[in-house]
Amino acid sequence: MTQALELAARRTLPDEGAVTRHDGAVFDLRRRRDLAAAEVPDWEALRERAAALKTHTLDHLDTYLERFEARATEAGAVVHWAEDAADLRRIATELLRAHKVERVAKSKSMLTEECGLNAHLESQGIHVVDTDLGERIVQLQGEPPSHIIVPAIHRSRAEIGALFHERMGTPRGETDPEKLTRAARRDLRSRFLSAQAGITGVNFAVAETGSIVVCTNEGNADLGMSIPRLHVACMGLEKLVPRMEDLPVFLRLLARSATGQPITAYTSVVTGPREGAELHIIVVDNGRSALLADPGHRSALGCIRCGACLNTCPVYRRAGGHAYEGPIPGPIGAVLAPALHPAGAALPHASSLCGSCTAVCPVRIDLHDQLLAWRRELPRPRGEALLGWLAALVLRSPSLYRLAGRLGRLSWPILGVRFPGNPAASWLRGRKLPRHPGASFASRWARRGQGTGP
Amino acid sequence: MTARDDILARVAAAATHRASHPGGHTPATLETGFDRFASRLRGVGGEAHGPVPAWSAGEAASRVVALRADGGSIFAAESAADLLGPGPWVVPPAELAPIAFEDVAVALMLGTVAVAENAAVALLGREAPQRAMPFLCRHLILLVPANSIVPDQHAAQAALPADAFAHHHLTWISGPSKTADIEQTLVYGAHGPLTLDVIAYGEVA
Ligand code: SF4
Repeated sequence: MTQALELAARRTLPDEGAVTRHDGAVFDLRRRRDLAAAEVPDWEALRERAAALKTHTLDHLDTYLERFEARATEAGAVVHWAEDAADLRRIATELLRAHKVERVAKSKSMLTEECGLNAHLESQGIHVVDTDLGERIVQLQGEPPSHIIVPAIHRSRAEIGALFHERMGTPRGETDPEKLTRAARRDLRSRFLSAQAGITGVNFAVAETGSIVVCTNEGNADLGMSIPRLHVACMGLEKLVPRMEDLPVFLRLLARSATGQPITAYTSVVTGPREGAELHIIVVDNGRSALLADPGHRSALGCIRCGACLNTCPVYRRAGGHAYEGPIPGPIGAVLAPALHPAGAALPHASSLCGSCTAVCPVRIDLHDQLLAWRRELPRPRGEALLGWLAALVLRSPSLYRLAGRLGRLSWPILGVRFPGNPAASWLRGRKLPRHPGASFASRWARRGQGTGP
Repeated sequence: MTARDDILARVAAAATHRASHPGGHTPATLETGFDRFASRLRGVGGEAHGPVPAWSAGEAASRVVALRADGGSIFAAESAADLLGPGPWVVPPAELAPIAFEDVAVALMLGTVAVAENAAVALLGREAPQRAMPFLCRHLILLVPANSIVPDQHAAQAALPADAFAHHHLTWISGPSKTADIEQTLVYGAHGPLTLDVIAYGEVA
């Protein structure tokens, strides 16, 4: 509970107006998702099938990983294995060095975000340009993405206009999304043409054929894969689907769940390198095999990163992605965090457990049950047991309850002031206490005259 | 090699080998045909033309090219040029460096399968030897056989030719390049084509 308040109160969105705008933009995606889902008569059967396919694949992941490696190698790709984030960074750096690469065009990959690849490559003198427009915005801004599908959703057009004015020379005060997008297109076009390598993520990997599948709306991944002679694809080891025939199940769900589109504008199935080029696929563990070994939590590995659970989550919508302080925000971020990074242990508490995430997840991950399961397993936050005991005591006794109410009303004006030791301190960091009505409900009810009813 | 062996050993120890493969999904019956495809394509920002008889595909393509051409080269991939015959387009050499495709106004290429539920058209690697062309051009025109329109993505996958994955890539293209990264405002032409036209030709199934 305390952590939930903490999260909601972190000031990652600058003011109430920004919170409202963020909430609206994110919920609009949720609305589009609902419309798109309603158009598919077998939507629920499709979700069921996707969940069953993921369960089966995870249950046989060793077989499918080996098959994928064999088929991808036959097709001419080189498969590398990375234990953790440092391993991925090392392998990618070595590959780029061996090809004397100084400039990389990168498309969106949450995995490289998780592994801190960009910063590492920059520190090695390799210049990385994020080519997805949203990613480019946050890269220029020097901040992490706040949403897995729409990385700059927390930024207003005015902020982006000011950023582009400074960094790309667009006219001062230009905030028209179309003009700003055109400016980014021009700027990035030259960077694509001079890039010596493309780095992409992987949405799905097909064991049967050794293919990787990359989905974008902008076509930026395809440019990154088709201009430079070196393509480095980074994939989490859970991305597999057994057969090509299984792929449509996920393609039909992914974009509809993400943005309400029937499919992404570009869905590229890449099997081996193109002529005269090299394809390297780095398969990354980074905590995933440990999660797989945990039967209570492995379902989270089925995630296809559609973002639907973020868009529907009341906490995410008002807190913004940066409040989660990890690579993946929202319900799925909170479910993965305790397993993947120690700082994430508090996140499962930041939920009202409304279950909306579970209701929209295209692969039917039991997200809110997962949050609850983590709460049971993780050490309870300090003071929570005492607080629970106190609450039980007060709620059981009408006289104690009335007393507590009176104390609360008396201390209300003081609680609104920030002083060291104030129990409401974390809440006050982000917002003001609401105005107090002055009297309790019971006393106001009594004043109205009993029995008149509302 | 040790990282590989360690990872695979851990995964093998964790994999329970229980749940069996659920088998293929039988989709609900969806509306199909050119009109359905055309309306879905409009929905994702593209435009469908036709269906036209195969012998007049060149004429239809010339008309669409005239709509879109805005200076710069007009290229047709070889297989598309074979279908279309002579026109305002030229076939670029396959070995042209991608960088030479920068100022392509219009590219014409052959699609193989079209999907009514999502307006996607399959562009096979064998029809796109110049891999970068469909992503660098400002206007893309895809030609698909009218009888290749199928209702859904499952049927589309099944309708692909045997060598669909033998030529490096297969891209499902649904509408022009787009982004909504600035305050959710939809803008076409984020990187690749600003417009996408699909011309259906030949006998309707
Ligand atoms: S957990 Fe489910 S809803 Fe959330 S991003 Fe992953 S697939 Fe989408």
